[in-house]
Amino acid sequence: MPVAPVLQLRQLAKSFGGARALRGVDFDLQAGEVHALLGENGAGKSTLIKIVTGAHQPDGGTIAVGGEPVADLTPAAAQALGIACVYQQPALFPDLSVAENIALRLERGGAFRTVGWRARRECAQDLLRRIGAAISPEAEVHSLSMPEQQLVEIACALGSGARIVIMDEPTASLTHQEQHLLFGVVRDLRKNGVGVIYISHRLEEIFALADRVTVLRDGESVGTHPVAAMDEAGLIRLMVGREVAQIYPPSEAAPGAVVLALRGVGCTASGVRDVTLDVRAGEIVGLAGLVGAGRTELARVLFGLTPADTGEILLHGQRVTLRSPQEAVALGIAYVPEDRRRHGVVLEMPIAHNMTMAVHRRLFRGAWLRFGAERSLALDYIRDLAVKCTGPDAPGGSLSGGNQQKVSLARWLATKPKVLILDEPTQGVDVGAKSEIHKIVRRLAKEGLAVLLISSDLPEVIGMSDRIGVMRGGTITAMLPGTADPHTVMAAALGQEETAG
Amino acid sequence: MLLLYVLIAEWLFFYFAGTTTNRRGIVVGFGTLDRQFDILRHSCEIGLLALALTPVIITAGIDLSVASLLGLCAILFGKFWHDAGMPIPLAAALALGCGALGGALNAALITTLRLPPLIVTLGTYSLFRGLAEAITRGSATYTNFPESFLFLGQERWLGLPTQAWLFFAVAAGVWVLVHRMTFGRSFRAIGFAPDGARYAGLPVNRRVALAYILAGLIAALAAIIYTARLGQAKADAGMGYELFAITAVVLGGTSIFGGTGSVHGTLLGVAAIAVLKNGLASLPVVMRMNAAEEMAGLLTGALLLLALTAGVLPRLWAQRRPPPAAPAIASSTPPSPA
Repeated sequence: MPVAPVLQLRQLAKSFGGARALRGVDFDLQAGEVHALLGENGAGKSTLIKIVTGAHQPDGGTIAVGGEPVADLTPAAAQALGIACVYQQPALFPDLSVAENIALRLERGGAFRTVGWRARRECAQDLLRRIGAAISPEAEVHSLSMPEQQLVEIACALGSGARIVIMDEPTASLTHQEQHLLFGVVRDLRKNGVGVIYISHRLEEIFALADRVTVLRDGESVGTHPVAAMDEAGLIRLMVGREVAQIYPPSEAAPGAVVLALRGVGCTASGVRDVTLDVRAGEIVGLAGLVGAGRTELARVLFGLTPADTGEILLHGQRVTLRSPQEAVALGIAYVPEDRRRHGVVLEMPIAHNMTMAVHRRLFRGAWLRFGAERSLALDYIRDLAVKCTGPDAPGGSLSGGNQQKVSLARWLATKPKVLILDEPTQGVDVGAKSEIHKIVRRLAKEGLAVLLISSDLPEVIGMSDRIGVMRGGTITAMLPGTADPHTVMAAALGQEETAG
Repeated sequence: MLLLYVLIAEWLFFYFAGTTTNRRGIVVGFGTLDRQFDILRHSCEIGLLALALTPVIITAGIDLSVASLLGLCAILFGKFWHDAGMPIPLAAALALGCGALGGALNAALITTLRLPPLIVTLGTYSLFRGLAEAITRGSATYTNFPESFLFLGQERWLGLPTQAWLFFAVAAGVWVLVHRMTFGRSFRAIGFAPDGARYAGLPVNRRVALAYILAGLIAALAAIIYTARLGQAKADAGMGYELFAITAVVLGGTSIFGGTGSVHGTLLGVAAIAVLKNGLASLPVVMRMNAAEEMAGLLTGALLLLALTAGVLPRLWAQRRPPPAAPAIASSTPPSPA
């Protein structure tokens, strides 16, 4: 009889509001195996981890640990079952020593008891030695580097006798040497019969370390394979699922006159500097770059949230100043923000109120609300953008991410803008709504709108844009044609002349 | 809606328990029309402050200074009329202007310096009252107002206490502003999500400023009505009214966290408090103990806490309820730790 897997998940499902984060995930972990979990952002990895560690309750499906079915998994219950998680950002108490932090996790007992300082120190020393970490148990955690703190977390997991250790992108901030050390620790854990769930975006690590790999896509497990039988291309295909060209509607625009022109625009406060860019009517200009490259900051300058202090902004050839969102809106600039739950949609307010929020002046002459006009505008956009909702009175928060995004978009389309700035329009949006949003954006460009598309989703920027501006350090460092390949764009974003690996 | 039933029950209770016939066979107590008008007359000032606070609280703000501003404006009004020799209408207009200015001071500190409304208005709460006391040197009051002015506070016009007409007019105005105009829509958006409102291109600072300036203006109007009712302008006018007004607003269903709320709710809240306070005073048992004020305070507090609890309970119950259907998950408990 085969040994029961140390962790077995069957048809695990979880929804947040209307968004289905997991829609039936099967996963099993054997003792003494490193099992990699792979998937794009938003594929459901973090939700899965949160369910296994007891932070979230699943809506459906079964969890079994060591062959025993488990219900109502709480963080405490998960810990008692021997499930430990090493997070990317260690959750330690910075002002306590390493030994104290370890003791906090491991020692049991009431509040009133004597502290065995020496035993505490020796325990910490022993655990740290076992994972080969050169860290003093006396050191205060805030004096440790991020990887050292991760090692402390691993020591805790080891000390608690965990049977299942989850590592969430453990190497994200490690140097090459530290990585090597960590790999040694992981292999040791495996040798001792611990099941390791290893999450990483770095495929080479998965090939170096993992025994099997499970790929998640859109909240479903699309397959579990022995790593030895896979290659990089195969894994990527599993993650993405489709060919890039298939997903994105083709460009049909014939760009017209320049609508928005930036000449050496900068904003000291937000670190934007010397941006020169033209956006034409009917054109989609993509803005690519790493997080923190200044793309959102540039959008905020153009929307008047952090006004520019150098350079000039021309709209239809006329010099304009944008000192507040009201001025930007009045000039026909619309900004669909990145953080739609905080900025894009007022979650507590009805869809109709959200959609008319930027057109109070035009729709409500003399500041008098006209409920009929508001409702018909909302119904128009609900139909036009295919917003899935129970009606214009449904609160924004009741919608799924993709539909919230459509409401946010509708709010700005209602202003009849000349320039539309989209900031990560499909982040956290499911695949179906994502392609709908892409089609809408294409259609808007075809109707003559000048679109500035900020996206960290490389295939999206490339698939949607007529031209791509790559930002780095607050400025545009390269303008590439829409046909550029991902390697070129990524290399430019990283600041490398040639493709660097 | 719940509050409406509470109000009706309250009223009926006092109608039957607080109405008696005296030795000469005349009906006295709560059930008389005179008493009802009296209640209305006495609730106008707190009612106005509650109306002033409703938009402010909907923007997730608070104004603790309204009653102090009432005191200051009462004194300024008396001073303009008595010391500066201005005619009553001019003095009243100037006092209203001063109220708006006081509100503008709050607004400026809150919007431009981004200070929290609670702290700003806690400061102006002391400042305004302190100014009023400084102007009167703590003791002086202004009296001997002309009959024509006292008509506003002590007589009836078209069957109702004169000031009630002003109160209803302001209530209607604030209701329209909050429920039928884009201003109210903006107040709500700001209350729910101040950043979201800014990203929607709403003039957040101007709207917030409007709410506080309006509150100042209404507080000044309450000052004039207060002076007319008592026939006296004094520095401690309206002392402590802000707490009753806030209670009325919250009782009326306006969320202290902003966004949700209504002007009609506030009016019900004001009525519930006023009826409770006056009704208690007419109960024989309370009269014997001479403890109407204390009982009113106690019951108002209890009513507020009950209303808040009643508002939160359904949500708590909804959260408590186990997730709709999870039959797939086995029901065995996890093995206990070794």
